[in-house]
Amino acid sequence: MEDKYSSNVLSGSKLGMVEVPDSRLTRYIVLLIISKVLKALGIFESYDILKVVHIVQFIFILKLGSAVILLFFQKPFSSGKVISKRQWIKLLKHAIFSCVISLLGFFGLTLCGPLRTLLLFEHSDVVVIALLGVLFTNSGGGPAKTRGAAFFIIAVICLLLFDNDDLMAKMAEHPEGHHDSALTHFLHTAISFLGVADHKGGVVLLVASLCLKVAFHTASRKLSVEIGGAKRLYALDNLVSAMVLLPWVIVLSATTESKVESWSSLILPFAMIIFSVIILEFYVEAICSAKMETPRCARYGAIALFLSALLLANFWTHPLTDQLRSMSKPPQQVSTEHVLSGGVLVSAVFFIMSSSILASPSKKGQKGTLVGYSPEGTPLYNFMGDALQHTSQSLPRFIKDSLKQILEEYDSRQIFYFLCLNLAFTFVELFYGVWTNSLGLISDGFHMLFDCSALVLGLFAALMTRWKATRIFSYGYGRVEILSGFINGLFLMVIAFFVFMESVTRLLDPPNINTDMLTPVSVGGLLVNLVGICAFSHAHSHGGKSCSSHDHGHSHHGHSHSEHGHGGHGHSHGGHGGHGSHGHGSHGSHGHGHSHGSGGGGMNANMRGVFLHVLADTLGSVGVIISTILIRQFGWLIADPICSLFIAVLIFLSVIPLLKDACEVLLLRTPPENEKDLNSALEKIEKIEGVLSYRDPHFWRHSANVIAGTIHLQIMSDVVEQRIVQQVTAILKDAGVNNLSVQVEKEAYFQHMSGLSTGFHEVLAMTQQMESMKYLNDGTRIL
Amino acid sequence: MLPLSIKDDEYKPTKFNLVVKLSGWFRSILADKTSRNLFFFLCLNLSFAFVELTYGIWSNSLGLISDSFHMFFDCTALLAGLAASVISRWRSNDSFSYGYVRAEVLAGFVNGLFLIFTAFFIFSEGVERALEPPDVHHDRLLPVSVAGLLVNLVGIFVFQHGGHGHSHGDEGHGHSHSLFNGSLNHGHSHGGGHQDKHGGHGHSHGGHDGHGHSHGGHDGHGHSHGGHGHSHDEPDCHNELQHTPGKGSSKQILQGVLLHIIADTLGSVGVIISALLMQKYDLMIADPICSMLIALLIGVSVVPLLKESIGILMQRTPPSLDHALPECYQRVQQLQGVYNLQEPHFWTLCTDVYIGTLKLLVAPDADARWILSQTHGIFTQAGVRQLYVQIETAAM
Repeated sequence: MEDKYSSNVLSGSKLGMVEVPDSRLTRYIVLLIISKVLKALGIFESYDILKVVHIVQFIFILKLGSAVILLFFQKPFSSGKVISKRQWIKLLKHAIFSCVISLLGFFGLTLCGPLRTLLLFEHSDVVVIALLGVLFTNSGGGPAKTRGAAFFIIAVICLLLFDNDDLMAKMAEHPEGHHDSALTHFLHTAISFLGVADHKGGVVLLVASLCLKVAFHTASRKLSVEIGGAKRLYALDNLVSAMVLLPWVIVLSATTESKVESWSSLILPFAMIIFSVIILEFYVEAICSAKMETPRCARYGAIALFLSALLLANFWTHPLTDQLRSMSKPPQQVSTEHVLSGGVLVSAVFFIMSSSILASPSKKGQKGTLVGYSPEGTPLYNFMGDALQHTSQSLPRFIKDSLKQILEEYDSRQIFYFLCLNLAFTFVELFYGVWTNSLGLISDGFHMLFDCSALVLGLFAALMTRWKATRIFSYGYGRVEILSGFINGLFLMVIAFFVFMESVTRLLDPPNINTDMLTPVSVGGLLVNLVGICAFSHAHSHGGKSCSSHDHGHSHHGHSHSEHGHGGHGHSHGGHGGHGSHGHGSHGSHGHGHSHGSGGGGMNANMRGVFLHVLADTLGSVGVIISTILIRQFGWLIADPICSLFIAVLIFLSVIPLLKDACEVLLLRTPPENEKDLNSALEKIEKIEGVLSYRDPHFWRHSANVIAGTIHLQIMSDVVEQRIVQQVTAILKDAGVNNLSVQVEKEAYFQHMSGLSTGFHEVLAMTQQMESMKYLNDGTRIL
Repeated sequence: MLPLSIKDDEYKPTKFNLVVKLSGWFRSILADKTSRNLFFFLCLNLSFAFVELTYGIWSNSLGLISDSFHMFFDCTALLAGLAASVISRWRSNDSFSYGYVRAEVLAGFVNGLFLIFTAFFIFSEGVERALEPPDVHHDRLLPVSVAGLLVNLVGIFVFQHGGHGHSHGDEGHGHSHSLFNGSLNHGHSHGGGHQDKHGGHGHSHGGHDGHGHSHGGHDGHGHSHGGHGHSHDEPDCHNELQHTPGKGSSKQILQGVLLHIIADTLGSVGVIISALLMQKYDLMIADPICSMLIALLIGVSVVPLLKESIGILMQRTPPSLDHALPECYQRVQQLQGVYNLQEPHFWTLCTDVYIGTLKLLVAPDADARWILSQTHGIFTQAGVRQLYVQIETAAM
């Protein structure tokens, strides 16, 4: 097979990842891809030839042919240094090894078929070394590599277990049958001793020989340096191995009768195989890995090879190509094809993924954000912060971490459990539906899945809310919660609208409903949703109690569900209002703000959205059950549309408060529950000594527990700014604002500004206006 | 003592007069070019839907009726856009201290979400139909879809013009609010092309980096490069601190509505193509494939809008300032007497209005006023129009 020592020698010493512009690389990539496609073609061809030609003969011919061509090109004897005797001995050993590996590879080809051989055997050294590094050493190179290795193993396992190759199974029935030589016979018995079919044995064999090949390549690198270049070694190696194989071939052809009638008809295919599999591939690979980095070359090559192999495997059996082949092929052969199965496809996909992951260079130390340029002109990189956080994360660890996070907090835990329940119910429904082949159940299952998306959204939002603030999202991700509530609400509105429309059309023209199937399913759904409602409303009332310490008569457990939604809303308002009224002292309101922050989990927008969604589902099931009963008992077909109409209106009404609240928050409204506190706080600020006036007070709720605010203060020029800032901060903090910035302005400030800006006039006018206002203020103060 | 803040609202008669209110709304709709365009197009769409509906009822064709309902549903998007463009011009009050300018972002967001829903539904239906192609009656489809296409083409045309108009209209007004606006050159030119075509979002996302860099050092006139008025990544281009809240260009609304119309147009085109294919070649599979493609197109084209508006709603640091801000921080920290810069928060209020808050830790003997004005200057150049700097003196 192809040898490519040069790849490592030539480009292994490159420093860093110097990105060559793509335009220059394109033609190498194209060349690489073409050579890989040709190689795949050659392998397929050789599989066909191997059916008639004995494997040893085959390899002998290949080696001989390529040796002749390579001798012609490389002239290993006339150029370079003289090869010593010791080197000749080494070369002999090398050739024997390469013969053994070629034998194993092509034997695997006869066992597994060309597609599987290509998938298994044609991995570049980089990939295999990375794989082995991950598997057997600790310094694998991060989770990405581990993932790649896992993909590789999965792919092999797929080939081993899930690849139902019927034709091969037939062949595997006679492992001890007639075989061409002692060697193949021995291998067959060895494989059957292991207890697997031929084909599976071939897989194991190929993987083993792949490892051998890589080890061999790595070991022979030294020799190639000694001999004077990989190409020379390759040429000599082919020659020597042809000579090594010669006696065996002679013995073979003397003892067994050949199946081939005319060798002349095989000349063309042999030439093609020699050209595509051995010569072209070797040179192209050498060139490409010299021009590009090895990993990149390996990646493109592997992808091209696997894809073309898949395509060829699909079309090789095609009548057209069959016909084409028969022109250049002995006509008598019966082609036993290796069928394309799902397992092969999956494993091919996995192989492609794994080789692209494993072949990608480890990015450690490569990333950094360009900060700027030093005075000498060299670029400066920043490796702190973002660059370090962007390392790829291990998938299992990620799942574990997020699960831990989910279970940490009450509401996300609630959502998660309910999501699990819902999903379980959905899958049971789907399985049962598929099993009994009932379309109604399946469609209902899909509807449930769709519902789960709302839950997933809620869960995700609950998780994301707790992310730390970053440079980009400087206030943190608390708003995700509100957005998710908003989206859920909108979603529900759309659904309600559609239900409404449909029920109107049904009202005009009631269809005949098949009621047999509906009841058990809807009862099941109802039960699931009732559990959800209990869970969420429990969370709600719980949070409510912990939130408001004063007794608050908040016990609407027995109410109907729509009341619940409203109740939650009313609660948050009533609670705050009551608080504000009796909490004039700064202490009280301080406590209030705090408790609100911690009790944010009680009924935030996100939870409300999820709750409303579950509620809508419950109402839907209740409606279905009621209408089913009505239809069965009394034959009122009109009951169904009326029920759904009613439900749609209910959903719609219950969503409105949620949407309104979310919109207010998103529109940066002053939080209504803090409005009174804030107003009194502003009054207090005006009374602080030294404060002339305030300007642009903006307060808005960022998320459940962040209220941000900004304010401009105009103060007298002879006051200590610091004291005033602290006072104002304290006052506003009491009012619930916990992310505040105060800008203190004195008159000189405006003069500075007017001098600074180029648009002098307008700012000056503004300044004068401010000034006059201030005088006015002063006047009022004096008065 | 006189009251320091004057509240007009309290003394207004709260009598509810429908006619006055309606005419007020009407006038406010007609006052602005964007909302006027929206309104006219809404009227056009509604009348088309009504014609379709009556004709459908008259000829008793279910397809026409359902299509007209679909049109009505589409009108909600326009209605949302219209409402938002009116609401966003409401004056700010005590509760909504920033005014209602965010309504436009919200409207864009809602429109985008609706489009995503629509795309999803179309896609699932397409898949369903691809599995078992139904018998489509294509005799009546063609005229209706051609008419719908015409209406939508008018819409696209109008909004392209609207875009131009609005960019012109913007230049004139809007320097009344802030202290520092209008002072610097005023190359606010991202009108025309970019919120009308799909290229529009290219502008807001991808366009930024490449653009800002390639034009570095210029004084940042967006004019020449059509869609990319946003070349203000460079700190020394001063071209976007301009328009006041309240007269926003309502880019998000326009983008949302335009996407919606484009989606509709694509839908009509798809229907026409598939109807032709079905008539000529009996390719029944053409219909689901067309609708799937359209759904995908819609979905893909909505994503940038959604991303942007979610970013704004979540108080993300404006992407256009991403590159300018670190440099600004550096410059502020280099000011004499500034020890440290804490808690920088920068966010977008609405299109091109950026607000920032900072805390500066300064030396006890530093000149706070000078630092304040310098800081303001630095960030004004970067395009932050409202800045709140809290100066804290370090304890010695």
